[in-house]
Amino acid sequence: MVLNSTCNYNILDIEKENNRYFTSKGKNMGNEAIIMKNVCKDFKVLNRHEGLKGSIRDLFSRDYKTISAVKDVTLTVGKGEMIGYLGPNGAGKSTTIKMMTGVLEPTSGEILVNGVVPYQNRTKNCENIGVVFGQRSQLWWSLPLIESFKLLRDIYMVDEKDYQDMLDLYSSLVDIEPILHKPVRQMSLGQRTLSDILAAFLHNPDIVFLDEPTIGLDVSMKSKIRSLIAGLNEQKKTTVILTTHDMGDVDALCKRIIIIDKGMKIYDNDIEKLKSYFGAYRTLKLIFEDGSIEETVIDESKTDIMDVIKQNDRQKKIKDIQLIEISTEQVIKKIYEGGDI
Amino acid sequence: MGDDRILNAGSGGGVSGFSGGVGNGEKGINGANGGSAGTLAEGRRRGLGFYVRIYRKILVQDLKSKMSYRADFIISTIGMIMTNLAGFLTFMILFGRFPSINGWDYHHMLFLYAFSLIALTPVQCFFDNNWNLRFMVQSGDFIKYCFRPVNVFFYFMSEVFDVKGLGQLAFGVGTLIYAWNKIGLGVSVVIILKLIVYLMTASLFMIAIMNAAAATCFWIQGSGYVMVIMFRFKDFAKYPASIFSSVFKFVFTFIIPIAFIAYYPSLVLLQPDSVPLLSWLSPLIGLLFFWLSYKFWMLGVRKYDFTGS
Repeated sequence: MVLNSTCNYNILDIEKENNRYFTSKGKNMGNEAIIMKNVCKDFKVLNRHEGLKGSIRDLFSRDYKTISAVKDVTLTVGKGEMIGYLGPNGAGKSTTIKMMTGVLEPTSGEILVNGVVPYQNRTKNCENIGVVFGQRSQLWWSLPLIESFKLLRDIYMVDEKDYQDMLDLYSSLVDIEPILHKPVRQMSLGQRTLSDILAAFLHNPDIVFLDEPTIGLDVSMKSKIRSLIAGLNEQKKTTVILTTHDMGDVDALCKRIIIIDKGMKIYDNDIEKLKSYFGAYRTLKLIFEDGSIEETVIDESKTDIMDVIKQNDRQKKIKDIQLIEISTEQVIKKIYEGGDI
Repeated sequence: MGDDRILNAGSGGGVSGFSGGVGNGEKGINGANGGSAGTLAEGRRRGLGFYVRIYRKILVQDLKSKMSYRADFIISTIGMIMTNLAGFLTFMILFGRFPSINGWDYHHMLFLYAFSLIALTPVQCFFDNNWNLRFMVQSGDFIKYCFRPVNVFFYFMSEVFDVKGLGQLAFGVGTLIYAWNKIGLGVSVVIILKLIVYLMTASLFMIAIMNAAAATCFWIQGSGYVMVIMFRFKDFAKYPASIFSSVFKFVFTFIIPIAFIAYYPSLVLLQPDSVPLLSWLSPLIGLLFFWLSYKFWMLGVRKYDFTGS
């Protein structure tokens, strides 16, 4: 496409913008929920062999290749912020989240989550975070939700009063009554996701990581979950790191987005700013009398829309005209596509 | 003495007939946790009491939900009885024909068999989730155990309590009492204490073996084979190690410590006049093996890359 070439230029601009954002934010010490400095993560991948014999050989094998999943990522997240953490599949999103949650140790660089080094203090870090992985329930499969809640209350040593307050807040935000006494295994995907999100917020953590919370859900459930997350963020001032491929989530919840591709941070700023980079682009949709449809992406700084319409009208009679603003989704798509600078 | 302390800690568990096993296992976990982490010191402390309480709560909920599936519960109970009956009959047919093997007569063999059945109960009841470990690790689901502020090993094991082990326990206890009477061991406080301590010791070995076997899945993909092989090896536990050739005796004592599941501990009861040093030391060796297997398991968790999302 014509756009790709111009896109590269834009990303370089964005890169400068990132650094400015980071340095300006970095000054308010003590107000960050997450600080990452020059974090890298390499994986040693073993060339595996088959069968028992091969497995035993693998035990002693030194046949490794190194893959760097995260390359020199620096970012800060302020307390109470909701961040959209985006990137194509395999960009290093999950790896970053796993490092923030203390499951993986960074190969180099520093991470501080609530002032704690996650990997060295996994248990302590876990007290102050909540995690939801879209398709993987972390609740006890056979237990009714309320029993899972009670177990979590004991595990996190939540005061009875705080626990009750949280349940009250939940019922003010969503209708939890129908799922409260239902075993998780009997729940629909939507109910299960809802339960997992509620469970992640139950001990009132400072940060909640949501990894694709709306994947596979229907439209009404999606909006329910979005408003729940927004409500909890507002009421409890919880920092939320939202990983998603659904731009609807990002548009509904996040002011700021961070985009990562091939392990590198390629964008870190307000979502509106990102759109304004591409604001000059609009899609012109022409519907002709004979039923055919033509869509053209137009750079208004170079082309006049009226010219395009007139030109087309001379060939075929136009029945309807639509002018479509560029969506976040398209912006992201362009960034992903043009990411390989 | 060290053994008595373990015993006291165990009696606080009060989970089942073999409460000692739980308490003991938990103590091992907690001990290792406290050792490795000054990290907990600042935060709210989670000690032995916390872990026992959480385990009991999870267990009660789990049993409640299992019993709500009545057909499933009944069928698995019947299956469990049949399995044990079949094992027992095989044993009867095989050993009813020999007057004695290497100085071990039928009732002594029966004693060993019963001893091993009881000693294998804790691994079946409390550590059965080891069998699911490799699936969880391969699918990436294992990661969910790392997001809670509790010991990962404890949290993972607490998820499954296998009721089937209880039938085996009942069977073992019945058989042991029968053999005990026939041999004429007598009853006193000391001998009962010895029995409990050495049963717990024996169970630690099997737990350690299965932990280590399961933990291989963090490094290799064919860990299923390793687990099955190790699990099969337990069948040798019910024979006196003295009947094996010196090579196998060495292997079953020092490499895969199967002989400690019944043979060495039960010598303390069966031959009180000539107890080998290894038998006396078995509680310490058991704790050491358990601790090592736990460390190996946790090392696997730390080293595992959790690739894929």
